[in-house]
Amino acid sequence: MIGVAPPAYDPAAPTTAETLPVGAPATVRAYVAELFQRHRRAFVLLIAVNTVAVVASMVGPYLLGSLIQRVSDGAEAARDLHLERTAALFVVALVVQAVFVRQVRLRGAMLGERMLADLREDFLVRSVGLPPGVLERAGTGDLLSRITTDIDRLANAMREAVPQLSIGVVWVALLIGGLAVTAPPLAPAVLVAVPLLVVGCRWYFKRAPSAYRSESAGYAAVSALLSETVDAGRTIEAHRLSARRIALSDQRVREWTAWERYTLWLRSVLFPVINITHATVLGSVLMIGGYFVLQGWIGVGQLTTGALIAQMLVDPVGLILRWYDELQVAHVSLARLVGVRDIEPGSGDESAAPDGRAVHADSVHFGYREGVDVLRKVSLEVAPGTRMALVGPSGAGKSTLGRLLAGIYAPRAGRVTLGGAELSRMSAERVRSHVALVNQEHHVFVGALRDNLLLARSGADDAELWAALGAVDADGWARALEDGLDTEVGSGGLALTPAQAQQIALARLVLADPHTLVLDEATSLLDPRAARHLERSLARVLDGRTVIAIAHRLHTAHDADVIAVVEDGRIAELGSHDQLVAADGAYAALWRSWHG
Amino acid sequence: MQIQDLPYPDPGEPDVRSGPRFLVWLGRNQLGGQVKALCWGLLHFVSVSGLPFCVGFAVQAVVDRSGARLALAGGLIAVCALGIALGDTMLHRTAVTNWITAAARVQQLLARRTALLGSALTRRVAAGEIVSVSTGDVEKIGWFVEAVSRFTAAAVTIVLVCVALVVYQPALGIVVAVGVPVLALAVLPLLPRATRRADFQRDKAGRATELASDTVAGLRVLRGIGGEELFLDRYRSASQEVRHAAVRSARMWSLIAAIQVLLPGLLLIAVVWHGVNLAREGRITVGELVTVYSAVMLLTYPLHHFEEIAMAYSFSRPSAKRAARVLSLERATDGEGSREAVVPAGDLYDPATGLLAPAGRLTAVVCGDPDAAGVLAERLGGHTAASSDLPSALVGGVPLDELPLDSARAAVLVQDKDPVLLSGTLRELLDVPGSGDVDAAAALAAAQCRDVLDALAQGSLDTGDPMDARITERGRSLSGGQRQRLALARSLITDPEVLVLDEPTSAVDSHTEARIAEGIRSLRQGRTTVVFTSSPLLLDHADRVALVHEGEVAAVGLHRDLLRGEPRYRAVVTRETDDQAAVEEPARPSPPGGLDGPTELTELTALTDLHEIDELDELEEIEETA
Repeated sequence: MIGVAPPAYDPAAPTTAETLPVGAPATVRAYVAELFQRHRRAFVLLIAVNTVAVVASMVGPYLLGSLIQRVSDGAEAARDLHLERTAALFVVALVVQAVFVRQVRLRGAMLGERMLADLREDFLVRSVGLPPGVLERAGTGDLLSRITTDIDRLANAMREAVPQLSIGVVWVALLIGGLAVTAPPLAPAVLVAVPLLVVGCRWYFKRAPSAYRSESAGYAAVSALLSETVDAGRTIEAHRLSARRIALSDQRVREWTAWERYTLWLRSVLFPVINITHATVLGSVLMIGGYFVLQGWIGVGQLTTGALIAQMLVDPVGLILRWYDELQVAHVSLARLVGVRDIEPGSGDESAAPDGRAVHADSVHFGYREGVDVLRKVSLEVAPGTRMALVGPSGAGKSTLGRLLAGIYAPRAGRVTLGGAELSRMSAERVRSHVALVNQEHHVFVGALRDNLLLARSGADDAELWAALGAVDADGWARALEDGLDTEVGSGGLALTPAQAQQIALARLVLADPHTLVLDEATSLLDPRAARHLERSLARVLDGRTVIAIAHRLHTAHDADVIAVVEDGRIAELGSHDQLVAADGAYAALWRSWHG
Repeated sequence: MQIQDLPYPDPGEPDVRSGPRFLVWLGRNQLGGQVKALCWGLLHFVSVSGLPFCVGFAVQAVVDRSGARLALAGGLIAVCALGIALGDTMLHRTAVTNWITAAARVQQLLARRTALLGSALTRRVAAGEIVSVSTGDVEKIGWFVEAVSRFTAAAVTIVLVCVALVVYQPALGIVVAVGVPVLALAVLPLLPRATRRADFQRDKAGRATELASDTVAGLRVLRGIGGEELFLDRYRSASQEVRHAAVRSARMWSLIAAIQVLLPGLLLIAVVWHGVNLAREGRITVGELVTVYSAVMLLTYPLHHFEEIAMAYSFSRPSAKRAARVLSLERATDGEGSREAVVPAGDLYDPATGLLAPAGRLTAVVCGDPDAAGVLAERLGGHTAASSDLPSALVGGVPLDELPLDSARAAVLVQDKDPVLLSGTLRELLDVPGSGDVDAAAALAAAQCRDVLDALAQGSLDTGDPMDARITERGRSLSGGQRQRLALARSLITDPEVLVLDEPTSAVDSHTEARIAEGIRSLRQGRTTVVFTSSPLLLDHADRVALVHEGEVAAVGLHRDLLRGEPRYRAVVTRETDDQAAVEEPARPSPPGGLDGPTELTELTALTDLHEIDELDELEEIEETA
């Protein structure tokens, strides 16, 4: 059997539902147009230097052609060849060509790099403007894969494919133009090979882009599996999964190489097509041209020039074919990057300004899916300065309620207000100047410890930063750092323990100093005694602030003014610790087993 | 080896004494493939070099007004075209096959080495290195492997063409034969600088990607607290640095490109100058002049392969060195063991701390220092990753270190503080080697995973069956508590003789934790279970609680009894802070200077006494079981 069918398993197929939108063709087109507009001058310049380089490259074949013509015309013409002058001209053309080829390469790279930098910076600007609700729902995984994988894929396209393709197209056009000028009757001979090339390329390009995508996804899966095996070394050994991991790795290799085999087959069709095309162009120019010379319609010199130019076509055609695929692969990535632009940045209503600090939830219903409410008819009044604890089993809706109270989600029905103004109508920037949410996600940014704190209050001086660290019991280890606040932390820098990371998150909160805080398991990663100590020192700093704490640990509830027990999307019990213990309900039972 | 036969049933035992040796080993293992690629490469390059002769022949035919010879030239072109097309395609196929088989072999070797190292990896700096070999170095090694045969074919062809030119037209051929080596070597001195700049650019790009993904990973924090501009500015400057580095690198490459135009051009001019003079004197024909010109033009093509091989080698040498180093890593302990491969049963006993977990019971361990708890938990499984002088833990009197690694792991499953969820569907995640007595549903129910299943069903693509839902890498899409419960369910399915759990519910809320405690208890009925925890909700369910202090068991008893009789235990378990403890025990006199020496001393002696009694008890118990 000739030919290889594409493998059944496609590693590039999405495994989870796409969480963020992918750009519509119109959005992508508009973005590309904007990008071209921004770099129009650089484009024009690139094409100009390229034109000079190509024209200079044709001088050689032209001069040789005319020399040949005169030599073959016989002794008479050969005597006044002006060989010195021709050679000098040749050298000048060569130097011009070399200088401009250098410029083409350089200008191409400069243009490509500029576009790429624009693209990645634009994307990040868009990403950091996303509404917090979208981020909570979608998670950051999809966004992360866009900024790493898709930007990487686009890098080659922007850096090389776009400039090289424009160079290639101009180059081919000029060569054929040059042929038409020096030996007009030969130009059509070049076209003899076009049908073969068109048919071959159509076949290839219909299959290639998606096949390459699958192939690279398959290869990435091999490495990803290994990196997971490395990361999970202890777990794999404990569960005796080593043999399975090896088998799984072999399976990934099989899946990847199946795609390699398929793309190799695609190229096994394309390569002969291109090779035969080149030979056909050269052959037809020589044969048709030779016939014309024999008929006396053109000279030997023109034939020579034509044949040499035909030979020169190899390079730009190769260039176009090589980068065309890359551009198609890049298109998919571009659509994913541009898709983020389709999300409404969440404008915010200027008139929604809080008057006072009371937080109020009024008959709130909320659900992540159509028809399934996680919270049902929840009403809650949090007076300014109250410390409230939300407790309850997993999945009861505590964290969801916390996110509604922090203005991240808008209720499906009912209202959540701060100082009488609806939180969901305010912009993210306004909400966070009043309310802050700290959750288990304790991200430490790559960079100096100082930057990790400054993000909460950009103008803070070192004394304020140290005070904030002190408030969360972190000044001990932080002062012991050799470079103090300048210590590089995050991945690649000093690795902080989860507990330290959590302290940093809380120190940011101290710096940001909002009057209302929602703490979602904010101290769950600290060892139990340290957690309680930290909560107490934090309470001193946050004295007078409204604190809504979602708690795993009952001691947090014990320390609160009011406890709300959330069960199955409703508030089941509400009151102080002593009241609830006296009421002898679910909370009281739990407390007894906890405290013995 | 053909691509469709991959993966290798056995990737072999590599020569890892050094980088170059490793490359040679890879090459020796695909000698056949290399020879094939070389042969097809020769066909390709020789056919390409044949074209100029055809062109010259055709022009000469026209000059001589011979239609028949023109047609013959056409025929020759067709033959060359066939040779080129066949040679090129087959060269590509064979060379790429060499690349892929070499890359697959290295990836397979890496997977095997990694699986063998297992837990030893987390402690080593090498972890990152293995990954970077897999993601970056394999490609570079593959490139070199692929380029070798192509380069050899090109080099042989260049020699052949030069010889042919000298024979065909000595006067011009000599000029070419002298010029070509200069062309081949001219750009080589520039390459190290160019590759250095390219490496620098790659580093910068890596840094920018890291900053971007870091910013995105922490985006929820940024959106919640602020600081977007700070991070955008930082990224912008990193992104511009990449651009500058890239342009700097492009300057070098563009210089190389210019030299590659200039030098062959000068050689062409020399050929034309010399050739036209010869033609004018009638010493060569016009056709021969065209042939030589055209040949020089085409020679630049095989000449590029000198540059390629130089680059491929300079890139792959450090990669091969790193691969060899990674593939020579070994475990600290002997995984084979000195005893027979049987899975022991009975009491779990750790001689170093005196900790005893009676067979078939639920033992809880309270340890004030979470790190010490982790180390102790790991030791209970035997074959610790780092070499240690302490005696091995025993199961039924059998030292685990003396068993083969696999038997030791089968006997005792230690779930550490940070168990990793492997990516794949939930079904795959829960499909672990085990006794077969506990099914997924029972384990998931015991670990209180209902809400996790709901969340997973929401995110799954098709039917909404949570078992088909995919867990992303490390379970990042799930919350800490959800991850912990799935990991617990997985350990419960394994159903080992002895199950050691280190803080299995630290991120789970109290309500759920209480239910999990019941779940573990009933599911592990009659099996040996050890739980490291400080949560009263779990401790309350244990048959026996041991307090470990300063590396030794300090007290043993029931949770409620210890709570009453053991102040240290109460301090750890009820999470009283130091200042609170001081407030709640007003009777305690505080001597001047804040040192409460005497009280502490008596407390210590009391503890030691208690500990001694306890140790005796335990020793007796061991003697009984032995």
